[in-house]
Amino acid sequence: MSRKLKRTLIAWAVLSPLVVLTLFPFAVMLITALKPATEVLSPHWVPSRLAWENFATMWSATNFGTAMWNSVYVGVLSTAIAIAVSIPFAYALNRYRFAGKGFLRQFLLVSQMLSPIVLVIGLFRLAAAMGLVDNVNSVVFVYGAFAIAFTVWMLQSYFATIPRDLEEAAWLEGASHTSALIRVFLPLAVPAITVTAIFAFINAWNEFVIALTMLRRAESYTLPIQIFSLVAGRYAVEWHHVMAASLVATLPVAVVFAWLQRYLVKGLGVGAVK
Amino acid sequence: MKRAAAPLAPYALVLPGFLLAAFIVLWPLWQLGVISISEVNRFGQLRGSAGTENFIAVFTDPDFLGALWRTGLWTIDIVLGALAVSFPVAMVLHQDFYGRGIARVIVMLPWAISITMTAIVWRWALNGESGMLNSGLKHLGIIDTNVQWLAQAATAFPVQILIGILVTVPFTVTIFLGGLSSINDDIYEAARLEGSSAWQTFRRITFPLMQPFVNIAVVLNTIYVFNSFPIIWATTQGGPANSTDILVTYLYKLGFRYGKLGEASALSLMMFGLLLAFTLLYVYLAAREARE
Amino acid sequence: MNRLYTGGAGLALALALSSSLVSAQDLRVTVAEYSSKTGPYFEEAAAAFEAANAGTDIQIEVVPWDVLLQKLTTDISGGSTGDLSIIGTRWLIDFVDAGIAAPLDDYMDDAFRERFFDVFLSPSVMNGQTYGLPIAASARAMYYNKDLLEQAGIDTPPDTWTELADAAAKISALGDDIAGFGLQGKEIETDVYFYYGFWAQGGQLVEEDGTSGLDTQAAYDAAAMYKKLIDDGATQPGVTAYNREDVQNLFKQGKVGMMITAPFLSGQIAEEAPDLNYGVTAIPAGANGDRGTYGVTDSIIMFEDSQQKDLAWSFLDFIFTTEWRGKFTEGEGFLPVNPEVAAMPAFADNADLKEFTALLPDARFAPVIPGWEEIAGITSDAMQTIYLGDGEIQPTLDAAAAEINGILGQ
Repeated sequence: MSRKLKRTLIAWAVLSPLVVLTLFPFAVMLITALKPATEVLSPHWVPSRLAWENFATMWSATNFGTAMWNSVYVGVLSTAIAIAVSIPFAYALNRYRFAGKGFLRQFLLVSQMLSPIVLVIGLFRLAAAMGLVDNVNSVVFVYGAFAIAFTVWMLQSYFATIPRDLEEAAWLEGASHTSALIRVFLPLAVPAITVTAIFAFINAWNEFVIALTMLRRAESYTLPIQIFSLVAGRYAVEWHHVMAASLVATLPVAVVFAWLQRYLVKGLGVGAVK
Repeated sequence: MKRAAAPLAPYALVLPGFLLAAFIVLWPLWQLGVISISEVNRFGQLRGSAGTENFIAVFTDPDFLGALWRTGLWTIDIVLGALAVSFPVAMVLHQDFYGRGIARVIVMLPWAISITMTAIVWRWALNGESGMLNSGLKHLGIIDTNVQWLAQAATAFPVQILIGILVTVPFTVTIFLGGLSSINDDIYEAARLEGSSAWQTFRRITFPLMQPFVNIAVVLNTIYVFNSFPIIWATTQGGPANSTDILVTYLYKLGFRYGKLGEASALSLMMFGLLLAFTLLYVYLAAREARE
Repeated sequence: MNRLYTGGAGLALALALSSSLVSAQDLRVTVAEYSSKTGPYFEEAAAAFEAANAGTDIQIEVVPWDVLLQKLTTDISGGSTGDLSIIGTRWLIDFVDAGIAAPLDDYMDDAFRERFFDVFLSPSVMNGQTYGLPIAASARAMYYNKDLLEQAGIDTPPDTWTELADAAAKISALGDDIAGFGLQGKEIETDVYFYYGFWAQGGQLVEEDGTSGLDTQAAYDAAAMYKKLIDDGATQPGVTAYNREDVQNLFKQGKVGMMITAPFLSGQIAEEAPDLNYGVTAIPAGANGDRGTYGVTDSIIMFEDSQQKDLAWSFLDFIFTTEWRGKFTEGEGFLPVNPEVAAMPAFADNADLKEFTALLPDARFAPVIPGWEEIAGITSDAMQTIYLGDGEIQPTLDAAAAEINGILGQ
């Protein structure tokens, strides 16, 4: 057999335990979501019939549409904020030498060390002081601010792979630094920015603790909170709805991932490590 | 290079991002500091100073030491486990083979789903009598009777660690893939021409060149895993009888169940200090090794 | 969607807008989520109230029980509470001590008081003042699977714990995945599950001298009894992995012969397992005829900081009318706290509910003392240790009692 075929067999053999363990929860979710309500509690793997209607009933029973819109709104806006301030930040870290650069790097790393559970009370007081409790925008603000450490890290590692020659050529032709940055650098940085933005979006999409603290009314809930509320402290949990909701909440992100995984690799290479 | 042209430029570029990131972290941190040295009722209302009372109360709580020890175990096992799994997986995914794209997507999938949901799904699957894991294992003939996975720490904690490794692998694999693709093929060519075996190539070329990536993975994963709450909380809530508690679940109980916000704040600061010390130490050691 | 506008206009505008949105007739009500019916019920009540009172706007915030206390804690510490909130009555004392709950006596006239059964109203009375109204009330009784009992050759459901042990052993013998007695060993009310046996032995949670009752002979005997049930295989395996919902699920699947829980299980069975042949009976008694059920109330309180106290009171008055109370109580499967509601056919003719109400004279409520959450946690931990066989009964209970005494003494 060809070498590639041989490699294929070995590769899949090595990967199979991981693949099984990774797909197991998805299988559980899918099967449980498709079980008719009366069968949900029994552990067999094959439902008596495929209850596709669960997805429809789930949508209305769990207020899915509103929660999804909230998640989209929060994800997009917080990512926009984070990216907007991170691009100049990462650019500066990468293209300039200045005092305090090391400190900034350390600060970013250190700021990721505080768990949200720990910060929750302080954050809430902040939001209360600004009159933003139960306002979806408070979540936007917090996500955006927290995302900065991660987005700066990713961006500056990508920026390191963009050669300076083109900018320097632009200066030689008399362009100012700012216009060189905007007209020459940014277009080259678009793939990097896109990938980073998508990562920030995914983090915001899945975030749980902060949203749980800040958001109150059902109309404000984001998806993770909405799904959690189906399970937490209820006397009777409708597991088929919970699983159906989890699946639908995961699908868009999984699709983006499938498309994305090629670009991931290139970016987290060279300049990432220091 | 550009310093002469606009000395203030970098600071202007950095300022908005820095202010935002600093604010969101420093304000709550300061709040924590204040609360930890105060006497505070369960609603966070301050009632005077408590000095070091809160810190001492935490230190002398027997559950604290258990949680501390278990947190060390938890973090080391998951970080090392993820490393051990991700390295070979990344190397495999780096090769060209049929279905590589699909394989990469599958390996990355856990990253797409929030950890809380993953934990809830696993808890559902791990149920002794109604869970699909047991029924699946019985069908495959691996076990005869149902295993009560979450009933005692001896089976629950390893399973929780396994779940932790599974959710950490995608991120780690990504980093390693980036590292592997940054290694120039010429180096491997040269090694082959010199007659180096696969193992020698790995030991002398691949692993050392991957060192910085391993370091980054270790540092970041340690931070995330140390503070990881949903997996243990959703499956056992740190029980039974606090036997699967790690510091962060213990913290949650202290603050929000028992209403001891002063002690919870003190504990948060101690956890932060611990993590900071570890990271600085590791980075220092890694830098020293890189110089040699 | 005014969200989009405030988002775009920046912080200052957000502040201005938010303060102008809170007009003089807004009410924020925090509601704990019992089931998927809770939210819709309150929204309906709010809409009806708004229709009857033009210019008012009631905002209902539905919060899962698991995180209710955490949210209220952060709310209060941030100085941003609503106007009304549902809380577990066992938390009330902390709220009263911190001056957070407002006394309601000025609003309550005798006619209002008479709307309630006194046994449910009194847990909310502290220092002679009423701080909350009972919004939900429940007790516990024993559910049993008639088919399983019949198969095991048992004619009547057990009335004492000795009979129960016997019956459970026979039922467990029926099959590998059948358990005689469903024992809860995880999460909330694990300690309460132990108390059923404890009270039957004549035990008291807090003794006359103010110390914990866990280091008494009654406690040792009860714990030994439960441990024996586990060791003999009369309960489901892996007790410490099962919370109440898990045990209920097993019961609904017909895999458990007997379990003790609240009235809402009847509603669940009707929806999810309508073919299940079950009955409800009293919690078993001990040798001396002692028996106890756990009485639970949840209260709705008014925040001292509320700016809308009068409006809040009108809303309370509104939802505590017979029609609205009936709807809520029936929908959630609780016990009626109002005599008029109890007289409604849906309740008076309900055979299951009769068993629960018959137990009310023996109802013990959680002691209203600060630190009760912690005490419950210590007791649960001790029980888990015993169930797992990780600790001998007497030393484990003694240690727990010592810890509890430390809290009681404060």
